[in-house]
Amino acid sequence: MSLDELDPVIHAPARLRIMVTLAALGDGDDLSFTGLQDLTELTPGNLITHLRKLEEAGYVATRKNGSGVTARTSVALTDDGRKALENYTTVLRQLLDSASPS
Amino acid sequence: MNDGTGTDQGMNMNAADAAAIIAEADARARHILRPDHRVTFLVWGVIWFVGDGLMWLAVRDQHPYHGPNPGGYAATVLLAVLVSLASVGQSRAETGVGGLSVLRRWTFFLSVLAGIGGAFAIEGALVRAGASRPVVGVFEAVAPIAVIGLIYLARFSAQQAWAVAGLGLWLVIVAAVGAYTGPQTVWAVIALAAGPAFVLAAAVEQRLQRA
Repeated sequence: MSLDELDPVIHAPARLRIMVTLAALGDGDDLSFTGLQDLTELTPGNLITHLRKLEEAGYVATRKNGSGVTARTSVALTDDGRKALENYTTVLRQLLDSASPS
Repeated sequence: MNDGTGTDQGMNMNAADAAAIIAEADARARHILRPDHRVTFLVWGVIWFVGDGLMWLAVRDQHPYHGPNPGGYAATVLLAVLVSLASVGQSRAETGVGGLSVLRRWTFFLSVLAGIGGAFAIEGALVRAGASRPVVGVFEAVAPIAVIGLIYLARFSAQQAWAVAGLGLWLVIVAAVGAYTGPQTVWAVIALAAGPAFVLAAAVEQRLQRA
C-alpha cells in the first residue's frame, strides 16, 4: 500500500483538519464559517480556498443565511464527505498497520 | 495549527502526520463543540435546593396542611423554566454550531413548558375533583421534578449521554419516593436529593469537559 491510495482531496493538512472538525458535529448540524476558522486556525483566505476544493468534490456544503451584517455562512459535511473521510481513515489505518513491525 | 502556507497538497504529509492531525483535530473539535450543561445544572441545583428548601420551611409546621405560599411556588417554577429557556442555544451558539441541535434544544424547552403546564392543569383537575389539600400538595411538589426527570431521561438516553440520562432517572426516583413521604417532608426530600444531584451533574460535566 502507498500514500497514493489516500483520497488526494482530503490528504492535505488543512483539508484533513476541516473534514475531521466537521465530522465531530452531530447529524444535521452545521458550523459557522468563523467557528470553523477558530477551530482550524486557518486564515479566511486559506479556509475559503480549501472549502471550495472540498465543495467541488461534494464533501462539504456551504450555506449562506441572511444578508448584510447578519449574514451567516455555515458549513456542513455531506453524506459523501462523511463516507470519504471514513474511507480515508480506513486506508490510513491499513497503511499504518502495514508499516508497523508485526 | 495553521498549515501556514495555504498549500493544498499533501505530498509532504506521511501517514503518521495524517494520523496525528486527525487525533488532534478530533479531540479539539469534540472538546469545543461538546454541549456544555454546567451552568444550567448548577443554577437548577441551587433553585431546587433553595426553592424547595424554603417551601419545606414554610410548610413543615402546618397543621392542618394548607400548602406553600402560591407566589413563592410560582416564582420557583418560573425560575426553573427560565433557566431552561436560557440554556437554549447558550454554549452552542458561542461556538457557531447551528442546525438540528438548536432545534433539539428548543424542543427540550417546549417539552419542559408543556410538561409543567400540563402538570398545573392536572393539579387544577385534582382540586376540581375534590382532592384534599395534602394530596394536591404532594402532587405540586413532585410534578415539576418528575416532568424534568422524564424529559432528561428520554432525551439523553436517546443520545447515549448516560450521565445526564442517569440524572433524569434519579429525579424520577426522587419524585416517586418523595411522594410517599407526605406533603411536608416531600419538599425537603426534593431539596436534599434533587438539588445536590444537579450540582453533582455539573461537577461530572466539568470532568468530562476536561477529559
